[in-house]
Amino acid sequence: MRRFLWFLIAAVGAAAWGVLALHRGETINAAWLVLAAVGTYLIAYRVYSRFLAYRVFGLTNQRATPAERLNNGRDFMPTTRWVLFGHHFAAIAGAGPLVGPVLAAQFGYLPGIIWIVFGVVLGGAVQDFIILFGSMRRDGRSLGQMAKEEIGELPGLLAMVAILAIMVILLAVLALVVVNALKDSPWGVFTILCTIPIAVLMGFWMKVWRPGRTVEATVVGIVLLMLSLVGGAWVAKSPVLAPLFTHGGLAIAWAIIIYGFAASVLPVWMLLLPRDYLSTFMKIGTIILLAIGLLVVLPPIHMPAFTRFVDGTGPVFAGKLFPFVFITIACGAISGFHALVSSGTTPKLIRQEEDARLIGYGGMLMESFVAVMALAAATALEPGFYFSINAPLATLGGTVESAAEVIRGWGFTVTPQQLHQLAESVGEASLLGRTGGATSLAVGMAHIFSNVMGKGLMAFWYHFAIMFEALFILTTVDAGTRVGRFMFQELGAYLWKPMGRTSWYPSIVIASAAVVGGWGWFLVQGVLDPLGGINSLWPLFGISNQLLAAVALCVGTTMLIKSGKARYAWTTLLPLAWVLIVTLTAGWQKIFAADPRLGFLSHARDTAAKVAAGTVDPDQGARVIFNDRLDAFLAGLFMSIVVLLVVASVREWLAVVQGRRPAVTTEVPAVESAYA
Amino acid sequence: MPDGRTDRRPRAKRGGRADGRLRRLYAAIRRIVGMPDYGAYVAHLQACHPGAPVPSEREYFDQYVKARYENGPTRCC
Repeated sequence: MRRFLWFLIAAVGAAAWGVLALHRGETINAAWLVLAAVGTYLIAYRVYSRFLAYRVFGLTNQRATPAERLNNGRDFMPTTRWVLFGHHFAAIAGAGPLVGPVLAAQFGYLPGIIWIVFGVVLGGAVQDFIILFGSMRRDGRSLGQMAKEEIGELPGLLAMVAILAIMVILLAVLALVVVNALKDSPWGVFTILCTIPIAVLMGFWMKVWRPGRTVEATVVGIVLLMLSLVGGAWVAKSPVLAPLFTHGGLAIAWAIIIYGFAASVLPVWMLLLPRDYLSTFMKIGTIILLAIGLLVVLPPIHMPAFTRFVDGTGPVFAGKLFPFVFITIACGAISGFHALVSSGTTPKLIRQEEDARLIGYGGMLMESFVAVMALAAATALEPGFYFSINAPLATLGGTVESAAEVIRGWGFTVTPQQLHQLAESVGEASLLGRTGGATSLAVGMAHIFSNVMGKGLMAFWYHFAIMFEALFILTTVDAGTRVGRFMFQELGAYLWKPMGRTSWYPSIVIASAAVVGGWGWFLVQGVLDPLGGINSLWPLFGISNQLLAAVALCVGTTMLIKSGKARYAWTTLLPLAWVLIVTLTAGWQKIFAADPRLGFLSHARDTAAKVAAGTVDPDQGARVIFNDRLDAFLAGLFMSIVVLLVVASVREWLAVVQGRRPAVTTEVPAVESAYA
Repeated sequence: MPDGRTDRRPRAKRGGRADGRLRRLYAAIRRIVGMPDYGAYVAHLQACHPGAPVPSEREYFDQYVKARYENGPTRCC
């Protein structure tokens, strides 16, 4: 009976893939995306994660976890596996899996779904699982520490520099997504602004007035949040209040920069902690709601399987299908950043070793499913709407008429009236050129929700989705700035000892200013960029995130080889090779491609020529050229660091495999578990 | 005999067991979101480290926040 059930799952999954691959008609139902994905996840979880867990890693409940041995009731604490699954999922799933697939939808739905599903089962989930496993066997050590121990002191230090640089790019691009969703939107700005006093109120509630009443404070916060959402509609309609909350991109960017600095130097309980709770509740709640909505509505997918933009001429971002679909969709398929959480909070909370399979591998499958939902929501939009939102304003022109004209030129039908009605239906003046994915995802989600719960609420659902995205992106910005600050202080201590005193105020201010200044620079650059900024920053983020995955997979491979399991090293070498091929190709193209739309250096030359010809203002031109070179330098830096790390790792592997160095594992000795 | 499964009275009237279940659900939600649980901490101290000084709820909250945010990233992209 059981075997029959698994056979059925395999058959349904395979059939769904067949439909996706062969269907070339008008539209296809989103159900096929969901079935293909879920069928593959179930089979992969059952077969491959079991192989990894027992054959490769040798997980056993007989062996006590750090949570059991070092239980201190705080960061080390045995936690029931489904609870920890939820906790881990809430930590890894952010804006990445929602935004990447939306952007990659410019290639059509098929490339995205294939990479999301197969990337996760063979790559992303393996990475998360092996790092979680490695850290769990090493008392919850961090990725940086493991890189030092496994590969060497200098590579470990390089890995830390790379992590900090990646963090800066990540925070800039996430903040840019929020800026593009909120510019000239009084409703959105009012709602998001309200989250700050709400968070401070919650902070005082649970710290000062009613210590420890965190749930109570959060419930109050959520109620106030919903009121501010309703209030936003009223503000947007008021002729007096609306102008007060209507701001351009640059003003919003500066507000986020100042806010990020304040959040990093203020005590955690006052702002960061309450926002963290609010956004976690909202995130889990909304993702569940989206899954239910999607399954109830099962919308038809209007985007074709492939668009003409696979040739690299797409307006959302430049570059061909290979390698750029694999760069654009990072989170959801494979995300190096997860290695930081899988070697941070989670390994210290695992109750029994075998739970790591559900949490590490299963948690990542869940995130991948979020990416599939985002892809479905975006491709369910009419392509004309999708491109009107995601193409840069410079390409579309400023009016619905010009935008409709340009989009018709790409072969998708849309009328100016339809574009105007779309913006009106969500309570905005215009949706043209709101690049970054958040807006088109919100429109897609609003479509789905209003289909389930009444058409009249479209504008409310749109702003609910924007609020949900902006809230947890800004929480990532706060938390990321703080983590970046600690890393900066740790690295700074190599140069000047006092920088390492993490609670010394001058050190806090210097390090916070450096981190905020770093991402703030790229954010402002992105806002001023006539092509919308997402064009250059998102690929840079994707490349850096995938290169971090390469670092994690190098560490994982080294752990396997050193513990005498070289014959299973293909499990990590396979995704490692793929990630290296993809990111080094993409990085090379971003730096050196001759097409100025794609290559940073040729764009700089192109701009210099335009300045010389007098068609571009010299000051603006100088800024663009400087930023192009900076982007090229960063891409080159990431690539060099990773190549160095890979070379250092390969030398270690060969030394061990050829017997020049003994295979000594760095795992802490096994202790019998009391739970088994 | 009415047990948890066949008892059709409203949950609140079933008493002890449902109460425990609700409390467990509440604790699970707190854990998922990453909220501190003072009661569980005190129980842990008494069980594993008898005689150790028990911090006040406010002290525990501060220690918890420190442990949560000073040990690397808690959030991804």
